[in-house]
Amino acid sequence: MKRIGVLLIVLLLALHLIGCGRKKEESNNFEFATWAAGAELTDLREIVDKVNEAAAGEYVIEIQSIPSDYYVKISTQIAGKHSPDFFWMTQELVSKYAELGAIANLTSQFNESERLKPEEYYEGVLASATYKEKYWGLPWIANPMLVYYNKTMFEQIGIKVPTPTDDWTWEEFIQIARELTGKENYKGESTYGYVVDGWPNIETFIWAGGGDVIGEDGKTILLDSNESLKGVGYLQTIIAEGLTPRYAEIASLGSNNVWFEKQRVGMYMGGLQDNFEEKVNKMSEEAKFEIGYAPMPVCDDGTSWSFDWTASTVMKKDLEGNKLAYKALEDLTLAFFEWKVAPPVKNSVENVVKIAPLKDKAIETIEFTLLGARSANYVPEWSDINDKLWYNLYVKLLNDPTFDYKTEMKSIAEYSRGKIAARK
Amino acid sequence: MRKQSAGFLFILPWLIGLVLFTLAPMIAAVYISLTDWTIVGEANFIGFDNYTHLFQSEEFYKSLWVTVRYALLAIPLIIATSLAISVMLDKGHKGVGIFRVVYYMPAIVSGVAVAIVFKWILDPNFGLINSILTFFNIKGPDWLYDPDWVLPSYLIMAVWGAGGSILTYLAALKDIPQDLYGAAMIDGAGTLQKVRFITVPMMTPIIFYNLIIGIIGAFRKFTDAYVLGGAGKEGNFIMVYLYEQAFNHYNMGYATALAWVLFAIILTLTIIVNATKKYWVHT
Repeated sequence: MKRIGVLLIVLLLALHLIGCGRKKEESNNFEFATWAAGAELTDLREIVDKVNEAAAGEYVIEIQSIPSDYYVKISTQIAGKHSPDFFWMTQELVSKYAELGAIANLTSQFNESERLKPEEYYEGVLASATYKEKYWGLPWIANPMLVYYNKTMFEQIGIKVPTPTDDWTWEEFIQIARELTGKENYKGESTYGYVVDGWPNIETFIWAGGGDVIGEDGKTILLDSNESLKGVGYLQTIIAEGLTPRYAEIASLGSNNVWFEKQRVGMYMGGLQDNFEEKVNKMSEEAKFEIGYAPMPVCDDGTSWSFDWTASTVMKKDLEGNKLAYKALEDLTLAFFEWKVAPPVKNSVENVVKIAPLKDKAIETIEFTLLGARSANYVPEWSDINDKLWYNLYVKLLNDPTFDYKTEMKSIAEYSRGKIAARK
Repeated sequence: MRKQSAGFLFILPWLIGLVLFTLAPMIAAVYISLTDWTIVGEANFIGFDNYTHLFQSEEFYKSLWVTVRYALLAIPLIIATSLAISVMLDKGHKGVGIFRVVYYMPAIVSGVAVAIVFKWILDPNFGLINSILTFFNIKGPDWLYDPDWVLPSYLIMAVWGAGGSILTYLAALKDIPQDLYGAAMIDGAGTLQKVRFITVPMMTPIIFYNLIIGIIGAFRKFTDAYVLGGAGKEGNFIMVYLYEQAFNHYNMGYATALAWVLFAIILTLTIIVNATKKYWVHT
C-alpha cells in the first residue's frame, strides 16, 4: 500500500512537471517567433533591440528563433498553450489559423490606428492577411514577381527589349521566348527563352488566361473556367515547344535561377528580392551581362497581376484586444519596413534603393509591379487544393506536355468544391 | 519484501517513462483519432469519421500501394543481398575486416545525409549512375523525376543500405556447428548443397527476425522518402502521407487514425508471418 502511495506521488509530480510546464505570468514581455537564422537573425536582433530601446521599458520583445520545421513547432506550441505572442506567418496559412481560432483578429485596432492604417498598404498585399473581411496580421514584406531579362543577349540576337512598364501580353512573351531558344550563350552552350520547373507557380499561368483558382468570395471555384484552362494552355505551350529546359534537367544546375545567371535562359520570372545584380557584379568580365527589368505580361482579361509572396506578423489569440501588445506589434512592423525590400506600404518605394542600392535600375518596374501585386485567394482548404494543383496538374504537365490538363483541372475543381462545401 | 521494494524502486524511473511517454500518448491517440483535432484548434468528437474518410480516400490507397509494393520487393532483396554478403564475409579472406566496415557503414550514416547523397547519385544529368551509363553510350533514366523509375530508385537505396543486418547474419553464421559441414563433406556435398541444406536452414531464425524487422521498417519508411519525394507521388510512402496530413494539412485526428491503421497492418502482417514460422524456421 505504501509502495503504491509512493508511486502515485511520483507520477503526480512527474505529470505536474511535464503537463504544466512554465506558467507565463501577465507581463509586458512579448515573445516573438521567427524563422530567421544566421545573418538574417543578427539583423533582426538589431531591429528588435532598437524597438525595445525606443519602448523605454513600456514593453520588451524577446526573439525566439525557429530556423527549421517552423510551423510544426509553432502549431505544437499553440497546442501546448505556449504560443509565442507574435509570430511570422506566410500568406497561405493566415486564413487557416484564423478559421481555427489560433490567431487574434486585429481589425478594430488596425482600423483605429493613426500610425499604420490599412489604406497605406498595397491592396493586393493586405488581402493576403485578410480573411472574411477581417485583418489577421500585419504584412511586413512584399515580394512580387517581375521579369528579369538578359539585356545583353536580347541585343545580340536583335530582339526589341521590353520597357520597364511594358504592357506586353503573354502571346508576345512566348514569342520572345521562341526567338531566344536554340541560340548560343557566351560559352557556346544552347539557350532557352525561359525557365519553368514549378516556379512560377500555377496561379501565375491561371491568371494569365484571365482565370483564377478561387474567387474573391473564398467559395467559388474558378479553376475549370475557360479562362483558367486557357492560362494553363500557355504553360503547356512553353513546355511542349521546348522554350524551357526539361524538368529533369533543371535541377542539374542547382536551381532554376542559376540558368539565368549562367546565361542559359534569356528571361526569368523572379521575386524582386532575387539578388541577380549582386551575383552578376561578382562575375568575371566574360560572364557578366546586363540585366533588364519588365513587369509581368498582361493577362488576357487586361489585368496585370504579379504573384506576390507576403509574410505577416500575427498575434496569438489570447492577446486579442490587448492595446500594449498591438502597439508592440505595430512598432515591430514599422521597423521591418526599413529592413526588407519591398516595404508593403505605398509611397515607400524609395526605401528599396536605400535598402538594396543595386536595385536602382529596377525601381520603375518595382513601383509598377507593386500596384498589381497579389496573392491567391487563400482559404483554409488551400493546402489540400494546392497539393492537387502541384502533384496532379503541374508536375504531370512538366513531365509530359501532352498530358490532358483540362480534364485534370475539371477534376481538381470538383474536388475543391467538395472540400469547400465540407467547411464547418 | 525489502528486496522486492528495492527492485521496484530501480525500475520506477523506467516505469514512469513508460506510463507518461508511451501508454498515456497511446491512450490519448485513441481519443484523438476519434476527433477532428487540427493541432491549433479545438478537438471535437466525431466518432469513426476519420476512419470512414480514410478508407474512402484515394490518396490513402495510393500511399499504401506505394509502401506495399516497395515492401514486397525491397525486403526479399535486402535479405538476399545481406545474406549473400554475410556468407562471403564469413569466409575469412584477406582484407575481410575492411569489407565488413565498408558494408556496415551505411547503417551508421544519418538518413538525411544518405538521401542527399542519393539525390546526387540519381541526378538524371550529372548523377553518378547516369554518368557511368553515358560512358557506355546508354541514356540513363530520369530516376526520381520519372514516375516509372521512382520505385527502382528507392530499391537501389535499400540495397545500398542492406549492410545494416549483416552483423546479425554474421553472428548467426558463427553459430552454425562446423561438424555439420564436415559431415556434409564426407557425404560428398558441394558448396551450393552445403549452403542450401545447412547454411540457409540454420539461418532461418535470423532470417525470420530480419523479415519481421524489414516489414516494420518498410512500412515506417520516412526519412529518405520525405527528403527525396518522387515524381507522380510515387515516393509518397504511407508515413510521409501521415506526416503531411498531420503537419502540412493540420489534420491531426485523421493522421492519428492513419497511424492506428498502420499499426493494425503491421501487427496483422507480423501475426501472419509468425504463423508461418513453424513451416520454415529451423528450431
